[in-house]
Amino acid sequence: MKQFIKLTTMAAIAIGLVSVTQVQTATAETLRVGMECTYAPFNFKTAEGNLDGYDVDVAKGVAKILGAELKFVCQKWDGMIPALLANKFDLVIASMSITDSRLEKMDFSAPYRISVGRLVGKKDMGIKLFDDGGKPMADNFEGLKIGVGRATTYAKWFEAKLPGAKVVYYDSSEAMYLDLTNGRTDMIMTNPMKAFLKFLSKEDGAGYEFVSPQIDETKFFGIGVGIGLRKGNDELKKRLDTAVLELTKNGSLKTYALKYFPFAIHNEGWEG
Amino acid sequence: MIDFQLIADSIPKMLVGIGLTLELMLVSAVLGTILAVILLLMRISGRRYLSWPALTYIYIFRGTPILVQIFIIYYGLPQLDFVRESIFWPILREPYGCAVLALALNNGAYMSEIFRGGVLGVDKGLGEAASALGLSIRQRFMYITTPIAVRLAIPAYSNDIVSLMKSTALASTITLLDMMGIARTIVAETFAPYEVFISLAVIYIIMTFFIQKGFGYFERYMSRYLKRDA
Repeated sequence: MKQFIKLTTMAAIAIGLVSVTQVQTATAETLRVGMECTYAPFNFKTAEGNLDGYDVDVAKGVAKILGAELKFVCQKWDGMIPALLANKFDLVIASMSITDSRLEKMDFSAPYRISVGRLVGKKDMGIKLFDDGGKPMADNFEGLKIGVGRATTYAKWFEAKLPGAKVVYYDSSEAMYLDLTNGRTDMIMTNPMKAFLKFLSKEDGAGYEFVSPQIDETKFFGIGVGIGLRKGNDELKKRLDTAVLELTKNGSLKTYALKYFPFAIHNEGWEG
Repeated sequence: MIDFQLIADSIPKMLVGIGLTLELMLVSAVLGTILAVILLLMRISGRRYLSWPALTYIYIFRGTPILVQIFIIYYGLPQLDFVRESIFWPILREPYGCAVLALALNNGAYMSEIFRGGVLGVDKGLGEAASALGLSIRQRFMYITTPIAVRLAIPAYSNDIVSLMKSTALASTITLLDMMGIARTIVAETFAPYEVFISLAVIYIIMTFFIQKGFGYFERYMSRYLKRDA
């Protein structure tokens, strides 16, 4: 009898072990995600030591759709791509812009954040600068003083699209905001997220607002920020693209963005 | 390896700004010289309530970096509401106005010291001789002291103008697109500081050469009363 009990418990344990291993193989996919962990509000550690931010939310959302486990790896920016290529992690979800030179070394999913420019000016300026289709009205820009960063894509955009405006170049964004509030420039053009975090949400920016729609010409501003992965993983890339599309369509990306900004920071109209 | 194509491309672009560089130099030289003469007269007036303010002014403007002065005028003054509401705001609003003001105020202090050196260098005996001939103090200053003082001051004055010309490059820090401002934009676009800044340095050297040549002629003209050896 004793013998029998022993045998049955052993069998039960054995079966239990087998079933545990089986369950594990069924959901074994663990995606290791590289990010800086210091780039608020996109990926950063909270006071409690938890990772938070837009990139982190995107990673969690994608993992949920893919049915994968997540493991975050904190990696300094300059070693991000080498670490990805050396298989230290599988994905880069670190606000990394999709550029031609990066595409030579790695792949990217569809963008989960777009690169745009946006104009900031005084509230109630009373000038109609953009038509209803969102196109700039060149005549109304005539003689306006616009502050932009020296040699930035925004400067290039103005030179190409609105040569009638008087563009003033700045080496620091602080000086650019200062001259806007001092009335030396009528408007500035910059990244709307930076404008919000550094200026509009602060006391100095109280009397100012966005005076243009988001301008998203990829020829000037690039495609945006995508999930980076090693080349040769077309299957994974396809699944990531689908996941980003789903997060776009079900409004998750917008929810993630609204935690930190009063506006969405992805391509809301994307249909796949 | 030096990119000669880049040099050839960027020199014409930088020369677009030579007009602004020269204008900054000339306008602030004229205003600075006027200021310098006023400061000089205050200093040598022999009246304390005139000489002390002049001395303090010179001390402050020679004792601080011109970049600091530019930043105080450009970024500092608009922080004061009454400045933005004053009649001077149309000038101070423009980076050009701020640059000219800073360069003129700074150089006025240096130039007045140069002029003082010239006045003090005039031989006392000449004044006494003029006085013996019955010239008034005013006449003595106008017809005896000034021409000689000017000639004595020319070498130092030309040095100061050259240094003023180079100081105009600082105007690029307050968004002006003089030659330096254009050069910095090209560098920001091409990441080639070596080629661009060396080309710019050559342009400044050529300008310095012409300024010195010009003052050389002027000095010879003003020295024509002196007997020339050989």
